[in-house]
Amino acid sequence: MRGPSNNTMMAFKRGFLRSLLLSLQSSKATMSLEERKRAVKSSADVAMATARGVAGARWPQAILSSSSSSSPSRMQAKVKRCKNIVRRCCHKRRRDGNNGTSFFARTALNRSSTEVARRLVKKRTKVLRRMIPGGDLLDEISLLHEAMDYVVHLHAEVDVLRLVSKALQRSTTSGLFHAF
Amino acid sequence: MSSRRGRITDEEINELISKLQALLPESSRSRSASRSSASKLLKETCSYIKSLHREVDDLSDRLSELMSTMDNNSPQAEIIRSLLR
Repeated sequence: MRGPSNNTMMAFKRGFLRSLLLSLQSSKATMSLEERKRAVKSSADVAMATARGVAGARWPQAILSSSSSSSPSRMQAKVKRCKNIVRRCCHKRRRDGNNGTSFFARTALNRSSTEVARRLVKKRTKVLRRMIPGGDLLDEISLLHEAMDYVVHLHAEVDVLRLVSKALQRSTTSGLFHAF
Repeated sequence: MSSRRGRITDEEINELISKLQALLPESSRSRSASRSSASKLLKETCSYIKSLHREVDDLSDRLSELMSTMDNNSPQAEIIRSLLR
């Protein structure tokens, strides 16, 4: 198991910045602030997924699929949820030769597992699934790998966004000074 | 991803756990016994992701506000264009 190298992350940051700026540039010049906020957020999401690429992780594809589809009708969403539930049941049946106890409960970490601890782990795993795009479909081990990958890239996204804000801010301030 | 079948050794699990832990912010890392660390780790991961999401949101909002004050001929637009070259 290796995390992404420094070079990979630099390439990601560059790719992210490029995609982000391109989509910002092509956004409508006149927007309400609220519209622009939404546009920037979705541009950042898509840029992050695009720059990461779909190899080796699920979350980029999950972001791209959900952003490209127009808001699904309630019926479609319901169908999707049912499909996910069925898929999860199948997954569970396939990988659970252990009487339904979760991966975490079986590990050395939880050998002292009380019922409470087990329930807590289950609950928190569910929460983690929700936070990671596409997390619903993953088994627990893949979820952890996915979480690591996602965290690393989120961190890089924050770095780049900070840089861009700072650059813009500095120029805005100096612009104001020059006006005087 | 889900093709990772077969026996997962305790060692692999521990390696996974510690790698994840290494990614989390320094302050939340604890050297205490591994007793509770499964659920603790999950909790810390969730809250870290949540705080990263929040930061992205804040920064995006800041960016939107800064962009709103720009027009096409301003120096800021030039900066953006130059970043793209």
